[in-house]
Amino acid sequence: MREIEWPPRTGAFELRLEDPGYPPQLRATASPPKVLRGFGDPESLMQGVAVIGARKATPYGIRCAQLFAGWAGAAGYTVVSGAAVGCDTAAHRAALDAGGRSVAVLGCGADVSYPRDSGPLLARIAASGAVISELEWGYPPAKWTFRARNRIIAGLTKALLVVEAGLGSGTFITADFALDAGREVMVVPGSIFAPECTGSNRLLSQGAIPVSDISEMRAVLENQLGSPTRDSVVEMLARGNDPVLAAVRTNPSRPDDLARELGLDIIEVARRIGALEGEGMITRYRDGRYGAC
Amino acid sequence: MAQCTVQTATLVGVQAVPVEVQVDVGAGLPTFAIVGLPDLAVQEARERVRSSVRASGFELPNARIVVNLAPGPLRKHGTGFDLPIAIGLLVATGQLPRQLAEEFAAVGELALDGSIRAVPGMLAYALGARSMGLPLLGPAEATSAASQEGIDYRPLAHLSQIRHSIPGRCAQIVQPLRPAIDSEYDFADVVGHDLAKRALLIAAAGGHNALLIGPPGSGKTMLARRLPSILPPLDSEERLQTALVHSVAGIDEGAALSGLRPFRAPHHSASIAGLVGGGSPARPGEASLAHNGVLFLDEMPEFGPAALQALRQPLEDGCITLVRVDGRMVFPARFALIGSANPCPCGFYGDSRRRCSCSESIVDRYRGRIGGPLMDRIDLVVDVARIDPSLLLTPSTGAHSSALREQVLEARDRALARGLGPTACLTGTSLLRACGLDTAARRRLESAARLKSLSGRGVTRLLRVARTAADMEGRDRVGSEHISEMLGYRAKEET
Repeated sequence: MREIEWPPRTGAFELRLEDPGYPPQLRATASPPKVLRGFGDPESLMQGVAVIGARKATPYGIRCAQLFAGWAGAAGYTVVSGAAVGCDTAAHRAALDAGGRSVAVLGCGADVSYPRDSGPLLARIAASGAVISELEWGYPPAKWTFRARNRIIAGLTKALLVVEAGLGSGTFITADFALDAGREVMVVPGSIFAPECTGSNRLLSQGAIPVSDISEMRAVLENQLGSPTRDSVVEMLARGNDPVLAAVRTNPSRPDDLARELGLDIIEVARRIGALEGEGMITRYRDGRYGAC
Repeated sequence: MAQCTVQTATLVGVQAVPVEVQVDVGAGLPTFAIVGLPDLAVQEARERVRSSVRASGFELPNARIVVNLAPGPLRKHGTGFDLPIAIGLLVATGQLPRQLAEEFAAVGELALDGSIRAVPGMLAYALGARSMGLPLLGPAEATSAASQEGIDYRPLAHLSQIRHSIPGRCAQIVQPLRPAIDSEYDFADVVGHDLAKRALLIAAAGGHNALLIGPPGSGKTMLARRLPSILPPLDSEERLQTALVHSVAGIDEGAALSGLRPFRAPHHSASIAGLVGGGSPARPGEASLAHNGVLFLDEMPEFGPAALQALRQPLEDGCITLVRVDGRMVFPARFALIGSANPCPCGFYGDSRRRCSCSESIVDRYRGRIGGPLMDRIDLVVDVARIDPSLLLTPSTGAHSSALREQVLEARDRALARGLGPTACLTGTSLLRACGLDTAARRRLESAARLKSLSGRGVTRLLRVARTAADMEGRDRVGSEHISEMLGYRAKEET
């Protein structure tokens, strides 16, 4: 017996174009869907960043999706994506694992679990974010529905990140929609030899914003969606008060000395140092002291 | 013409392999020959048997004596054949009852006056006799070693003792549950060095490998010397395994039998054979003598590179397989490696008071001596700095070894209660099951593994020490804080 089933028994909603809860940025696009059906929290549709990529993803694409969606989720931005295998799924998982929320836009009825084993992930998404579709309840997936779905992804978000896209792929088309709708399009550069990246590299030459690290993405999101609401950044600020970090930054020292000077237990100090080092905030020098990178 | 066969054994590795001593006393010129691939020591048995038989009041027949050691192709060595040869000879000539040859196995060296002396490996012989299903006649001086559980040992002090009666079974020696610990070294005497103490505590609790790096005089050796004071006692199985190796090496096995974990500290001039075993006949090396205990290599980079690298296989497999012309021998060698090293040839790299005179390239070369593959097998790497003189004169506030030892015992008990075997040997799925990582711990590990470019083995070893740290706190699951702490002990990949 499956533990989590799709669709869930509760939490279904329908939003009409004229409803006040309908996302305004989507209403402003050229062809907004007349009705949005789905499960979860309609509030989560209000703003977000789309992280999209090809279904036939390379490990590079998957890792990019995880990195950027994970950070966005941790920073409190809602991640919007499809529910296809590959980059989409990786982006949802990373955002949710980071404690963020995400929105999945389906190319079939919102109560249809497609791909078939995506039920547990959809349930996780709907628990904090939303799973939506413009199609009738129970509508089966078809090729055209996914193309139409892409314009919703583009319309829902003010910024869109393409991690990997071949020329003429669905992802490439979504980016086109986003440009038409006047959205910020960010692209992760890929190898010039990889057919999976020709589309994304083409977008770059057409003027998309190249994103090669978190800070570049962050600058765009702050501009479009406002400052991060919680997270790594908040945590980092909190760590400014971390006595271990502060001490190590001002004066590289050994754990034993730190423990004595700060009056902390050696185990506590060792754990803080390990955590900070594991996050790349400090590093171990060759002589055994710890200090800023 | 009279013949007689006596059961005995010869050592191959740490195993006693059964050997039959066939004695034939027949007509012909009076000679005494031993055949069946005997080594020089076995050949010399003739003179010892001759004198001791006479000295014990028996008669040596004026006849042609041939002794054959079967199976023929097996090389026999050592002086333990004296007693079975003498018994065979005396039974064949009717001076002793046949029962003595048929119902007993015998091992022992004879002195010219007829007294019986122990040979190395008496415990191995006793275990061999047990598996042959025979009581063992052996030297009285080896009684405490050989009369272990399930072994029927018949001690003999002198050959003349069997003239009139067969010696009775000696009482089994009951070993204490917890050995008395040599209290000469105590962790409470150590000032500072909290991180190193913590690392050694974890190493003792989980049987992990550790390396202490620091300038001369910083206290590396002093710390390592105190490790035995917090090691848990051997369990009954381990006692026998370790005592067996010690017995074969001719070292007093009493300590191991009483449950004391071995702590071996060979000098850095040790050869490969000295470290992992070898020679002819093959003897166990220091790594095997440290079986179930600690092998302490002081000044590790000073060891010969070949000898050092030979430790890689036992560190992974827990045993050493030697292949020689006369066969293949397996010596057990499951030990925790504790090493100490200077940070550079002059020793003062990173010292706060003395300048290091080594160039970076010399430091690199020096550290490279231990080598990446061996470093990868070391679970805990700690820097030990020289202590400020002002601290040296303050009394230590650290915990006593006895208290630390209780923590170690608790952690061991916890690890054993899991039923998955010792933590230091866990791998794959059983390791993951034992750790029960939550999402936070998993993410911490993943990102750190990427950042520090840990190998698969590195991750495995990290999880093992983290498991031990969690055991010491009585926790069922390994948390991200344990992972964090253990990351600090991981050797950073040098570029």
